Amino acid sequence: MRHKRFTAALGSAIAAATLVLAPAAGADATDEYPIPSRILKTTCTVDQYMAAVRDTDPVYYERYMIDYKNKAPGVQQATRDRIYWFWAMDYAGRRAYSEETATNAFYEQLAWNWPNWAKLFFNNKGVTAHGTDVCMNYPPADAGVWTW
Amino acid sequence: MTFGKRCLAGLVTGAALSVTLAPAAGADPDEAFAEQLHGYGIYGQKDFNAWIGKIMCKRLRNGHDPDAFTTANFVHGQLQKGSTTDQAWQFVGAAIPIYCPDQLPVLQRAAEQGNQN
Repeated sequence: MRHKRFTAALGSAIAAATLVLAPAAGADATDEYPIPSRILKTTCTVDQYMAAVRDTDPVYYERYMIDYKNKAPGVQQATRDRIYWFWAMDYAGRRAYSEETATNAFYEQLAWNWPNWAKLFFNNKGVTAHGTDVCMNYPPADAGVWTW
Repeated sequence: MTFGKRCLAGLVTGAALSVTLAPAAGADPDEAFAEQLHGYGIYGQKDFNAWIGKIMCKRLRNGHDPDAFTTANFVHGQLQKGSTTDQAWQFVGAAIPIYCPDQLPVLQRAAEQGNQN
């Protein structure tokens, strides 16, 4: 009996140690995380995508724009610059960026100024799917999407 | 988007009546709106419907939606699947008096246009 108890305790100890020493769960990016594949692959422009979401998910868009307007002009400018910069990349570049943000919390400097800066673009698979389904029907350049 | 002329004419009358009977200041407009929607068989989250009502008004005020037909089309896209065109118009007719009574002429114009066609 005493032997059995010792074995059980040893087993628990080993299991606990294994847990402690287990490598951190893999945080690699996938084609859907953290940036949904629709955004990695879309051929629409930023303006087209935003105009589409304004119609397909108006509440999501409205809340993002309220948040955006409450940021300092410098942060707003940085947000626009950053998303156009991201959008200018091809699939491989966007996928690499997704990998960087998934594995390195310090990679995206803008997130320190505004954690939700890319919420409209990266955070919701449903929203990105609805937007990218119809974005090609909107004008490629429309600065009005930022002044809603 | 097709719709019953009578339905739209009724909406305009109903909307005018709603303004007259608008709840006293202090009452929750979102609650009043939700109750009216229930009468039309439109359910869904109260907050969501209120957002759509307010955004709908914003789109009319800033000219993004040029007329009530565009507005009804926008609203129809936001209602639950299977909602009818009439329900979209009922939504518009209920939202305008509550959230943007200044836009009542838009409904009136749509009714007149509907009568001409």
